[in-house]
Amino acid sequence: MRLADRYNRVNLITALIVFLITGIIYYLVIHFIFREKLDRDLTVEEDEIKQYVSTYNKLPLPASFLDQQVNYQLLKGGTKESRSFKNTNYYNSKEKELEPGRSLITTLVQGNKLYIVTITKSRLEVDDLVRIIVLITLGVTCLLLISLILINRFILKRLWKPFYFILEQMKAFNLVKMNEIELNPTGVDEFKELNTSAAQMASRVRQDYKELKSFTDNASHEMMTPLAVINSKLDTLLQSGPISEQQGVILEDIYNAINRLSKLNHSLLLLTKIENNLIADVQIVDFKDLIAEKSRQFQEIIKKEQLILNINLSPCEIEMSRYLADILLNNLVGNAVKYNHTNGCITINLKADSIEVINSGKNFPLTEQHFDRFFKSASSEGMGLGLAIIKQICNLYNFSIEYSFSQGTHCFTILFEN
Amino acid sequence: MKILIVEDELTILESMLSYFTEVGNVCESASDYLSASEKINLYNYDCILLDLGLPDGEGLNLLKELKKLKKNDGVLIISARHSLDDKLSGLNLGADDYLVKPFHLSELKARVSAIVRRKKFDGNNIITFNEISVDITKMETSVKGQIITLTKKEYDLLIYFLSNKGKVVTKNAIAEHLWGDEMDISDDFDFIYTHIKNLRKKIIEAGASDYLQSVYGIGYKFGMV
Repeated sequence: MRLADRYNRVNLITALIVFLITGIIYYLVIHFIFREKLDRDLTVEEDEIKQYVSTYNKLPLPASFLDQQVNYQLLKGGTKESRSFKNTNYYNSKEKELEPGRSLITTLVQGNKLYIVTITKSRLEVDDLVRIIVLITLGVTCLLLISLILINRFILKRLWKPFYFILEQMKAFNLVKMNEIELNPTGVDEFKELNTSAAQMASRVRQDYKELKSFTDNASHEMMTPLAVINSKLDTLLQSGPISEQQGVILEDIYNAINRLSKLNHSLLLLTKIENNLIADVQIVDFKDLIAEKSRQFQEIIKKEQLILNINLSPCEIEMSRYLADILLNNLVGNAVKYNHTNGCITINLKADSIEVINSGKNFPLTEQHFDRFFKSASSEGMGLGLAIIKQICNLYNFSIEYSFSQGTHCFTILFEN
Repeated sequence: MKILIVEDELTILESMLSYFTEVGNVCESASDYLSASEKINLYNYDCILLDLGLPDGEGLNLLKELKKLKKNDGVLIISARHSLDDKLSGLNLGADDYLVKPFHLSELKARVSAIVRRKKFDGNNIITFNEISVDITKMETSVKGQIITLTKKEYDLLIYFLSNKGKVVTKNAIAEHLWGDEMDISDDFDFIYTHIKNLRKKIIEAGASDYLQSVYGIGYKFGMV
């Protein structure tokens, strides 16, 4: 639920309850005041009748005015005197209809006779008045509520605009693309603060990220020189004289280790470069040619492992860096060869908008994690960067990559269409 | 051939010098921009091995200097940066080749030899080693005047060995040379053995001596026994 909606709801419910309670109180108070006034009028009338009786020693004539009626009724003996106010209906002879009234029923002694006197005044006007007042109150309440809703809807929407704007910016913020957070000038202090905080955070994050990346970059570069020293020294050592078989084995191990280390370094550098989008030689790459080239490149190993290679090529030209296309296919096909078993098979299906590499291999599916850096299965000999590089290249060009597994067959599909 | 090695890392410089120093080669070295620039101005070289990361100047500027002097020295750039931009700008500035650290000295030698051969090209570009001769322009190999047919890989191998005669060349270096450095399928380079075996057989069958020696597990040496 949106903040404005929630605020609106609370606001409206509270307003409604308050208006309702004040409405009821208002109604009751007005009612009470008018009744008091009626009762006072009735008492004045009663006093007049009593005065008349004491002066003339007879009852005044039962009078029926527009809004007042007086009735006398002789009571049998033994009845006690009483006096009470009552809401009644009386017959308005002029209007010829029953109308609500207020009656004072009191007893009157004239001589030795006890009369019961009923003075009734019309309540119609009072009720009308109360009704009008209630209606006006209700109308004002409704008007107030509606305007509240409208204000909330339109003003709040406008007020919160800077907030949603900055929110959109933050959602769109991409560390890799290094886009700036755009700020909309606002006069509201809270939003001003939010804007500056968001901008500061973004620049801080960017700075940290930059440092982290340049760290990887520098570390990898700095490692190259010592590696070059070791390599060249080993090459020199090899030339220095006869080598025993034992030494040969040790030297080979060292060479292999250096090889791995320098490849690891190159892979890391490559990843940072792809992330920074620093590879610019974008051109039309003919994947058909490239795959043919790869199959030639891997033919020795394919032959050695007695793999069956099926290639179905349709024309496919993609606009991307030739260098990255080469690496992409190297990793895809290389993995299919590397993680295969003897007498296994590899199928490469190239279509105009996708490439599919299907290979036999380990009898368990890969997980999302295999696309993470340095993640590798226990049985993997690689560095755990091959798939990460594939993923990064796909990310760069908005290719989508799909993986499926069934019965020992792994299938990687790259869809070139974004 | 006359070579200038510009490299600030003295240990690497030393190794390169010792690898290149042999009969018929003159190797000079410079370990900073100033002395390199001085040497370039004074002498002509067949090939300059140029490290880009020099302490007192950008290596690429040496290339510009060379261009200004209108010299035709071959240049091989050595860089710790596996950067396409560096490579492209280097090649655009007139460098002949680009090699990324760490590298095998045998690879360096092969590339330098190729540059020097190209630069010295005078109609007949032929490498001769005793009874074996390879015509680079025609891509023809002959033993005792008789042409033998080699596959592309075998031919590349032979050139590689001829550029590194008398040196032990590792299997890693050979694999990298023939298949590129992206070929990291396995540490097992047995598959290059087939090519070497075939090359050796073809040369011997054509009547040449066996110049290829296997050096225990680690590599091969081509040269006079």
